[in-house]
Amino acid sequence: MKFETIEYKKYDETIYKYEHSSGLKCLVVPKKGYYKKHATFSTQYGSVDNEFVIPGEKTQTRVPDGIAHFLEHKLFEQKDGSVMDKFAALGSRPNAFTSFNQTVYLFSCTDLFRENFDLLLNFVQNPYITDESVEREKGIIGQEINMYRDDPGWRVSFNLLDAFYKNHPVKFDIAGSIESISKITKDTLYKCYETFYHPSNMVVTVVGDVDHIQVFEQIEKNIQATEKTSEIERIFPEESDSVNKIYVEQNMPVSTPLFYTGFKDNNFNLQGLEILKYDLAVKLIMSMIMGKSSELYAKLYDKGLINSTFEMDFSIEKSYAYSMFGGESVNPEAVKDSLIKEIRKFRSNGLDPQTFDRLLKASKGRFLRQMNSVESISRMFINLYFKGVTMFDYLDVYDTMSFDYIMDVFDMHFDIERMALSVVKGTSK
Amino acid sequence: MNASFTNLKFQEVSMTSTNVLEEKLEKIAEINGIKVYNIKSNRFKTNTINIFFQDNLDKDSVALNALFPSVLRRGCSGLPTIKDINLYLEESYGAVFDCGIVKKGEKQIIHFYFEYVSDKYTSDADRNFQKALDFLLNIIYKPALQDHSFNEQYVEQEKSNLKMLIESRINDKVQYALDRCYELMCKDEPFGLYEYGTIKQIENITSSELYKHYKEKVSTLPVEVFITGELCDSDIEVLKNSLDSINRSAQKGLLSSIVKKYVDKVSYFEDAMDVNQGKLSLGFRTNITSNEDDYYALLVYNGILGGGMHSKLFQNVREKAGLAYYVFAGLEKFKGLMIIAGGIDIKERDHTKELILKQLDEIKEGNITDYEFKSTIKSLETGIQSLKDSQLQVVDFYLSQLISQTHDTLEGLLEKIQRVTKQDVIDVSKKIQLDTVYFLTSEA
Repeated sequence: MKFETIEYKKYDETIYKYEHSSGLKCLVVPKKGYYKKHATFSTQYGSVDNEFVIPGEKTQTRVPDGIAHFLEHKLFEQKDGSVMDKFAALGSRPNAFTSFNQTVYLFSCTDLFRENFDLLLNFVQNPYITDESVEREKGIIGQEINMYRDDPGWRVSFNLLDAFYKNHPVKFDIAGSIESISKITKDTLYKCYETFYHPSNMVVTVVGDVDHIQVFEQIEKNIQATEKTSEIERIFPEESDSVNKIYVEQNMPVSTPLFYTGFKDNNFNLQGLEILKYDLAVKLIMSMIMGKSSELYAKLYDKGLINSTFEMDFSIEKSYAYSMFGGESVNPEAVKDSLIKEIRKFRSNGLDPQTFDRLLKASKGRFLRQMNSVESISRMFINLYFKGVTMFDYLDVYDTMSFDYIMDVFDMHFDIERMALSVVKGTSK
Repeated sequence: MNASFTNLKFQEVSMTSTNVLEEKLEKIAEINGIKVYNIKSNRFKTNTINIFFQDNLDKDSVALNALFPSVLRRGCSGLPTIKDINLYLEESYGAVFDCGIVKKGEKQIIHFYFEYVSDKYTSDADRNFQKALDFLLNIIYKPALQDHSFNEQYVEQEKSNLKMLIESRINDKVQYALDRCYELMCKDEPFGLYEYGTIKQIENITSSELYKHYKEKVSTLPVEVFITGELCDSDIEVLKNSLDSINRSAQKGLLSSIVKKYVDKVSYFEDAMDVNQGKLSLGFRTNITSNEDDYYALLVYNGILGGGMHSKLFQNVREKAGLAYYVFAGLEKFKGLMIIAGGIDIKERDHTKELILKQLDEIKEGNITDYEFKSTIKSLETGIQSLKDSQLQVVDFYLSQLISQTHDTLEGLLEKIQRVTKQDVIDVSKKIQLDTVYFLTSEA
């Protein structure tokens, strides 16, 4: 059995990589002495993939929003009952989630890993969907949609995506809407399944105190497909470089207004390590400008314009990229204006190399901390795997990050013309 | 002020395998009345130091106790501003520092926390444990002062931040519906207090009053220190010297909670807000706390009823009836309470409540399948074992043991759960009493 071993002796970590004949890749990260074993089986299919060409057909198909998430719910149901009951009988905790770009099925166990892993590999490959079960699920997912509609944090971030994007499907709720899910049928679900759930489009990760050879043997035994398929043709609408709207506001029962501002980024056509480099660089610059040790943070915190809910993030995927800065504020416009002023100041004075060094050091330490948790490792792996890299590649990127590159990225991402602001506030009485 | 090194272990330690020492609690010192515990572990890339102050949850002190830690967090000797503190943390390989307030039963606990990368992974020659300990003790005992009192500006800003935190409770409707149910149910008991106080209480606090309160509390409240990771002899020396130099007075004795309550009639409460989904909460008195013999049967009962996907609530209310996206049961083990919560369609309120109560009746009548029982035991086993992979969760487990004055280890807890029978669960089910129903509904 052929597999690759990569050791990171300095950090006491190793990865084993294996590829099955069907194109399925499997990554094992051994964590000796840990009690939990965490396994995931994911497909590169998420809420943004609502238009694609079904293999064998000539034209594209548009499916209702929220179908990837709906399919995730349905896969747990089997002919002989729910697969959750089988996991429960083995004492493990199954779960799944759908994001913009992936659907992930997982379990966490402290015992009977072999049996649980067989179950995971099998149920995801064997969908069983009926018209009746589709109707029933509409009720459950309807409740889930309503729960998120009431969540101001969720709404303020989706509204920012709406402000950025005129057409790109990343702006649509991952679960869809009550209206869009009402159009979902058994047939459409099966079509989506057949298109995206081929092992060539999927990855398995296992993190914990496991024997990697045994894991690869289980893959050999359980994966049904034997040959790779061709790349799936995913269709994305035309999207202009500029933002859709500069400002979006929604009224909800919140005490202090919530806000997110950020930059729409059109530099997403990057491959492999380049993505990690760009991602790290943007995040470092975000910290330099508005991180907890920055002048701007101190000034805004002292003025009572931001508080400890303030956070920042950057996302880069195959067809889009954006940053978000936000939290609670009594005056979101003032925060956005201060941010713009600060960026202009850095443009004329330049960024500080000492700050960069210090933040790079801190970022590396925080990264090491994430390696304590099997869930964090899995989550990072899945996200990066589909980009062609592993989380340990970050270690190389940390060691080779240069200040010159930081200055280039500062110009590329932090374009004031590509900013938008989303606010959720209570109605004035 | 006597320092004594007592090696009180909670369990006999086997010297044959190093793994056996992992996750076991070892009391390594008692200095100045401050108890220090170590949880050895060498498989994580970071270590943590946790300092806990415990007080009674009381309306006259709750807001003051919630406020002073956030003022302390603003600056200390050598690092007088938030910016200085964050620069220092970044320099220390992205170390993490925070403080928080936790409610465990009728105790309000102030937690100071520092997590740092182990010496093994940093290239510096200096000792990360000593730096971490010095930092925390500076924050707590040497705050940045102005005219021998707290910095006025810091106090005003943190008062404002705390008020915003309280006002933002309504943003998380799921948590709000849980908290409101418990707070209304226990409105005449200390447990009904929100651990961060009320807006009015915070507004009335003056800077000098807060400083006086802080000085008294840090010198008299019981303190427990938990350190995760390996400590060498010189670390223990550093610990001894640092804790020895703190000014402590006679330690305050804390009250025990009144737990037993027999419900004569069920109370109903409702709130209306601009919401799409209704949130139903049912509050119960179990009259069983974690230091009683039938607590373990109660854990199994709670698991069968609503502790996961195998549970009666999940299977019947969500899967079969399609009424809820989330529905679960949870225990408050120090005060002897249980809550069942679900997010539902507003018009299904009564139907859902009936179906939920039916699940409790099923258990009372002995209708527990083998599958439900065995899955619950397995799920609890997995939960306990999983806990060991998180330094914070292990610390929290042992802190709870101290507060409830039980001496379970994780293995001990596991064994007691495995000895619970179906009959034990049925017996315990008869003690559960519905006390309060709370519904968060829409304004329409």
